[in-house]
Amino acid sequence: MTPPHPHHPEPAADPRARLRRAIEHLDHVLPGQAPILNFVHHNTLHGFQHLPFETALEEAEKVTGIHAFWPEETFRRHFAAGRIAADELEATLDARAELDPDEILAMAGDTPITRREVLRISLLHGLEALTPAQLIWRIEEEGALRHVHPGVTQEPRTGRTSSPLPELWAACLDLFGLGEFRLHPEELLDLSQTQAETLSLRSRDGAATGVNQAMREHALARVEKDAADIGQGLSLGEWLRRLTGRDTLATVRPLLIRLGAAHLDEGLAAWNPPERDRGLWASFRALAARDANWLLAELPGAHETLAALPEDPLDAILAALERLGIPDLRREGYLARIALEIPGWSGQFNWRHHQPRYAANREAPADLADWLALRLTVDGLWLSELCRKTWALDARLDTLAAYFRANPCEYLARAAYHAGELPEYLATFARRLLADTHLQRASLESWRGLADLIWTWQHSTETGRGAHDGAWRIFVLAQHLGLSAADVQALGSTQGGRLLEVLDELSPTQRGMIWLSAYENHYRDAVFAALRENRGRGRWATRAARPEAQVIFCMDDREEAIRRHLEEHNPRIETLGAAGFFGVAMNWRGLDDAEVTPLCPVVVAPAHEVREIPRPGAEQTRLIHDRRRSLSGALNRLFHQEIRRNLFTSHLLIDALAPLVAPLLGLRTFLPLALERIARRIGERFTPAVPTQLALTAADDGQPATPEAPRLGLTDHEQADRVAGFLRNTGLTDGFAPLVVLAGHGSISRNNPHLAAYDCAACSGRHGGPNARAFAAMANRPEIRELLAQRGISIPQDTWFLGSEHNTCDEEILWYDLADLPASHRPAHAKLVVELDHARRWSAHERCRRLASAPRRPGLKQALRHIVGRAADFSQARPELGHATNAFAVVGRRSVTQGAFFDRRVFLISYDPTQDPDGKIVEGILLNVGPVGAGINLEYYFSTVNNERFGCGSKTPHNVTGLFGVMEGASSDLRTGLPRQMAEIHEAMRLQLVVEQTEEVLGAIYRRQPAIQELVGNAWLHLSAIHPETGELSVFAPGTGFVPWHGKPHTLREVEKSPDWYAGHSEPLPPVLIRQPDLLLTRDTSSPPLEKGGRGDFSGDPTRQGLKIPPNPPLRKGGTGDVLYA
Amino acid sequence: MPEILVALIPALPFLAALLIGGGAVTGWLDGERCEKTTGRIALGAAAISFFLALALLYLRSTGQAPEQMELGTWLTSGAYRIALNFRADAPGLALSLVGSYFSLLVARFSVNYMHREPGYHRFFALLSLFGGAMNLLALGGNATLTFMGWEIAGLCSYLLIAYAYDRDTASRNATRVFVTNRLGDAGFVLGIVLSFVWLGGIDWPVILDHAAHLTPVQATVVAGCFLLAAAAKSAQGPFAPWIARALEGPTPSSAFSYGAVMVHAGVFLLLRLEPLFEQSPPAMALLAALGLFTALYGFLCGLVQTDVKSALMFSTLGQVGLMFLACGLGWWTLATWHMAAHAVLRGYQFLSAPSLMHQTLGRRTRPVAPALAGQRALYAAALQRFWLEPFLDWLLVRPVQNLSRDLEAFDERAVNRLVGLPSPAVRALSSLAQWEEQRLGALQRAQHVGSAPGLFGRSTQTAAALLHVFEERWILHGVSHGWIGPGRRLGHLLNRLEQRLAQPRYAFTLVIILLLAAT
Repeated sequence: MTPPHPHHPEPAADPRARLRRAIEHLDHVLPGQAPILNFVHHNTLHGFQHLPFETALEEAEKVTGIHAFWPEETFRRHFAAGRIAADELEATLDARAELDPDEILAMAGDTPITRREVLRISLLHGLEALTPAQLIWRIEEEGALRHVHPGVTQEPRTGRTSSPLPELWAACLDLFGLGEFRLHPEELLDLSQTQAETLSLRSRDGAATGVNQAMREHALARVEKDAADIGQGLSLGEWLRRLTGRDTLATVRPLLIRLGAAHLDEGLAAWNPPERDRGLWASFRALAARDANWLLAELPGAHETLAALPEDPLDAILAALERLGIPDLRREGYLARIALEIPGWSGQFNWRHHQPRYAANREAPADLADWLALRLTVDGLWLSELCRKTWALDARLDTLAAYFRANPCEYLARAAYHAGELPEYLATFARRLLADTHLQRASLESWRGLADLIWTWQHSTETGRGAHDGAWRIFVLAQHLGLSAADVQALGSTQGGRLLEVLDELSPTQRGMIWLSAYENHYRDAVFAALRENRGRGRWATRAARPEAQVIFCMDDREEAIRRHLEEHNPRIETLGAAGFFGVAMNWRGLDDAEVTPLCPVVVAPAHEVREIPRPGAEQTRLIHDRRRSLSGALNRLFHQEIRRNLFTSHLLIDALAPLVAPLLGLRTFLPLALERIARRIGERFTPAVPTQLALTAADDGQPATPEAPRLGLTDHEQADRVAGFLRNTGLTDGFAPLVVLAGHGSISRNNPHLAAYDCAACSGRHGGPNARAFAAMANRPEIRELLAQRGISIPQDTWFLGSEHNTCDEEILWYDLADLPASHRPAHAKLVVELDHARRWSAHERCRRLASAPRRPGLKQALRHIVGRAADFSQARPELGHATNAFAVVGRRSVTQGAFFDRRVFLISYDPTQDPDGKIVEGILLNVGPVGAGINLEYYFSTVNNERFGCGSKTPHNVTGLFGVMEGASSDLRTGLPRQMAEIHEAMRLQLVVEQTEEVLGAIYRRQPAIQELVGNAWLHLSAIHPETGELSVFAPGTGFVPWHGKPHTLREVEKSPDWYAGHSEPLPPVLIRQPDLLLTRDTSSPPLEKGGRGDFSGDPTRQGLKIPPNPPLRKGGTGDVLYA
Repeated sequence: MPEILVALIPALPFLAALLIGGGAVTGWLDGERCEKTTGRIALGAAAISFFLALALLYLRSTGQAPEQMELGTWLTSGAYRIALNFRADAPGLALSLVGSYFSLLVARFSVNYMHREPGYHRFFALLSLFGGAMNLLALGGNATLTFMGWEIAGLCSYLLIAYAYDRDTASRNATRVFVTNRLGDAGFVLGIVLSFVWLGGIDWPVILDHAAHLTPVQATVVAGCFLLAAAAKSAQGPFAPWIARALEGPTPSSAFSYGAVMVHAGVFLLLRLEPLFEQSPPAMALLAALGLFTALYGFLCGLVQTDVKSALMFSTLGQVGLMFLACGLGWWTLATWHMAAHAVLRGYQFLSAPSLMHQTLGRRTRPVAPALAGQRALYAAALQRFWLEPFLDWLLVRPVQNLSRDLEAFDERAVNRLVGLPSPAVRALSSLAQWEEQRLGALQRAQHVGSAPGLFGRSTQTAAALLHVFEERWILHGVSHGWIGPGRRLGHLLNRLEQRLAQPRYAFTLVIILLLAAT
């Protein structure tokens, strides 16, 4: 939006401009999830990424109220399971210098009690304050005065005998002057003389005023505090909910969602709202007058408000805020508050607002301002109805605040009642009084009476340190510290109070951070120990001998297993990893696609289009293919849309189709795999596949291709740039194998709205196969080879590139352009296919161990059948586990990681530091991999630690909405983040990025790259260096720089093959070394000679090379007998 | 023999529900490790039940089983006897087959889908119970047995909608659905009573055979009662809104209850009562009108739905409306086929709803004709579902709520006092403030006891005490709770009474009372 007076830009004075800026600013706090078909992992707290991790999480909690760490019980469970060691926890405590852990807080006899001790106990055992009701429960039901607190290991301190618990409890009560403590609030029905005197003294806070006066003052202070919180922590609606128990949002939300969803819909509804192309607000204005809701709900003033709706949503927002009496300064906060009350929908409007080029915006432009204007307008109507009915007042902040200032007793009583904090006897009273208010019978007097009672009750327990928060915590602490009653008495109230202060010293965020760091460090040390032990064991540090084949997978953590199994099976194969778009950013248009799809990381806008076209001679097939396809498409549409959409024709269709559908449904449920296979066979027969190739090469017209003016195809130079760039990045510039396979990946499953979340994150949540195919096609062109040779990369003429795609869900591998494969390479390819087939079976086998419904200790065949069956089963809510458990990334040669088992938890990015002395290459890689890896990792982190708020909850009640998201049921917020089924086994920790490069080079990159500074310096991911020559590991500490890592001496076991380690285990496993075969690779002389000649013109047969292929993996003991080796 | 077989069809799922429910309560079935056991029990019972239903179909079609089968007597009380009998007529068989087929499919589906859900065992217990209830409903040989199935199914649907009872919307919607359905149940119960009185029995053959002897008015009344029940269960006409609220449960339960099976129970009841309805042209006309209305309602609302489940739900409403219409027009066979066919197809669509966007490959639904697209008022009406729910709220729910609140207050303030119930204890509570007041008073008393020697002293003291009382009673307290207010408050009270009596609900109540007095 341009300011109206360019010469006098005074945005601060213009309320509309300020409002617009405030709305733009909401981008930082709203969920940034794209429509679900374009799901791409991103940092859930992206708006806070400019802050250090800890601060960011704290700030986010302030704004959204969501605690972004695992609950402490979870950490304690991990502690109990040995996933966090006691010394690791203490080390993280000690690392917080500001805590002064050695300070002596008190003396128990002659032994000091240090802060470290108290904090450790508090972390390990909780010691949170209880509510009075919980205290009753602990004492009366759980026998806390009879049994020692669970988890107490400390023997009584030397020289003292432990005292019986009741004695200790009495001593603790004494510490807080609670000699006459009563557990039950009902006992306050009749105050005894002394009781009343104590209470009355306490409740006046030492002031000389009367009890009633003190209560009024307290209530007034609370009114002021809450009224001041409107626009920060509270919306007006939420405030009124707390005072009346009526949730206007629950009434308003379905209406808002109906309108909002109808506007954003991307093709589910057959009938769209009027004026949709002019935005939601215009459309609402067109409908509002025709809507009878307002009339039926008897909303006061609705008619006037709706008749005078301004044309501009910004004006509407201003008017609505004015009506609600929100002061100028708090407007921004108020908007954020109400936007965050329906975060998913607000976020979707915001996302579309910030993606003007998104296709659906052409029909229905989305603006967050429209949504907020609608929200405020409709909200206002119901709020005013509520206020009119309850107090005969307008729903204005100032009016309401004035009323409560005059009626503080009512305020106190209402707030206490609706917060659910009152004991039964008071709640009954309050309920009665509220019922009376409805009949306008409750008087000032009765409110005062109730408020007095509440005050009495509160002060019987709450002033200063009461039993439930003071005495109880000291009681438990004393048990853990091994103090006796006499020790406690000796503490006195000063030291006792000091101990309590220390218990509260750590904020929830700090506590979460301490736990998280200890948890991360535990796993990091295990991985680093493995990397250290593995030094010098891994193959392919140099390619002294020519590998039999090279397979380049995506860096994806899910590919670690298949790579490991492939290498274990045939050590002469080298595998590499790279971001799965293989350096080819393109708009892809497949044979059957109506539109292009960008296949590259989201931050990149492709400047080239690549199309799939029929091979010469396939025109006839194409014709049949198209005709049949449109026929099956029509049938599909008939079944999925027309039957749902129509009335009478549906009747006929239903009656006709049902006899067919009934058995089909049975098959789909009971024999999904069989049905899938039959359906596929019929599909292939019915719609013949068209042999295709890529329209890849464009003539050089001298113009640069840009995202705005994309080029159809790439010029030779552009192709050579991409191929050379990619090869240099991965370090694959020499030692080319005869067969180099690029394996993109994707995931196909049956009944899964979050399908895109399982796909390749480097391809914007799509399949990476076409990129692999395009890369291979470019790299095979003699012209490109020529250009590459000029740039110093000489690819032997007998090297052939092949594109393929790995389906991570059912482990299937698709091959592209096999028709072009020279005959000379066919045997090598055939052999590789067999070997890959073997590897994918083992990959399936390994995956089974983490799937509860998979057979335990399956055979190979059985494992694959299970995995494939899962993908075909439409009842399966967990077709695969996605990136769950991803934990670290290694940028370096395969030799760093090869030879160890990393449990599918590592992103592997190939990079050769020896070819990159100045770090230019690794800089590019970090800029690419850092955000992608951190995005995946952090999305998983947040969706795991609080799945209900950051994730989208369980899949089971999900309901696909507008083809862009899911709701729970039919009128909930739009759910963002990952479903529980994806995140449930994830281990929430930040990504540990290990780079094989010197500290100096990495330090220099850090200093010059703001993007890296943001991620690493703010600790959203951890960076470590592994020295290319010495193998020394060092950890980057923000603010300090690289610090050498000296883990505990750690001898890892070595196993023959990875199944020996994981078989029979379903829990996460630490790394282990895998026996490396004794391969004298340098003796390999059978590699084809690198001589000039025509393509494929070589004589060596790669399947019969001189060296022994290592034996197949041994049969596991106790296997089921159907282990199959390819 | 066939009667035992037919009894087992509902009995097995009931048994499974009992086993799973009991297991979950006693802790025998608990947590993830017992999921397999629970799944097997539910699946086994559903499978046997389905095959028994197939066997029954075979026996019936080969004439080896009679239409009405009696197992024994359930209960007798004087002339009143309810038999334990079953009926396997065409609509009954159709519903039973579809019901047990879906029981089986949904149980299999849920084994994977509900894995690791808290409440896994509860879900399967409910699923089995629901499956049994549908079969009892379909195969019950008398109106009471059918009604039992009817009620248990309703209860299950309530518990399944509120499956995630920690979510506010879910539990609120479940309650609303439950209450709405009870209106229909009233019709069913009344229908049973009238059948007993006018037709001499509640066994279906008695009702159906004797229907011909009813006077047209009687026939219309009885048919009307059952029609009310059927309309509520199948969400027809004014009852339509409940079904849109029923989508809060997990996908398989939505598919089972609302897509495939339970929503057709109303149609089934109509089909079974065909001879009764044929006796009453007004009931048939009402049936057709209701069906047509709902069909159009479902169709129009369905066009604007933007989420898959609602879209399917409104489409279901439209089709069930057509079934009512067909019944009203006397096309009973068509309605039977449509019922079974629709159940299967819609069930499939519900189960595969999560992948709709992938199945349609992002292609949008065919837009409505431009002539319709331009109808803004109609669009607003369709989007707001013709305001059926707010309208009913305004017409019925809110007045009833207010009336009940007034009655409660009346009870407490007038009736309780009259009959001498103790007033609540809270009135006798002491608060600190009260105590302080007392203490201040006590101090004053203590002062005058100690410092009053001689006659003069005493008289001064008495005067002071009187003045104190005066001050205390009339001046200090006067403003808020003394004697100044009452007159004003009495005036207020009268005003309010007048206002209240002028409100429609009281006027309505008065009219009803007058009518009752007149009859």
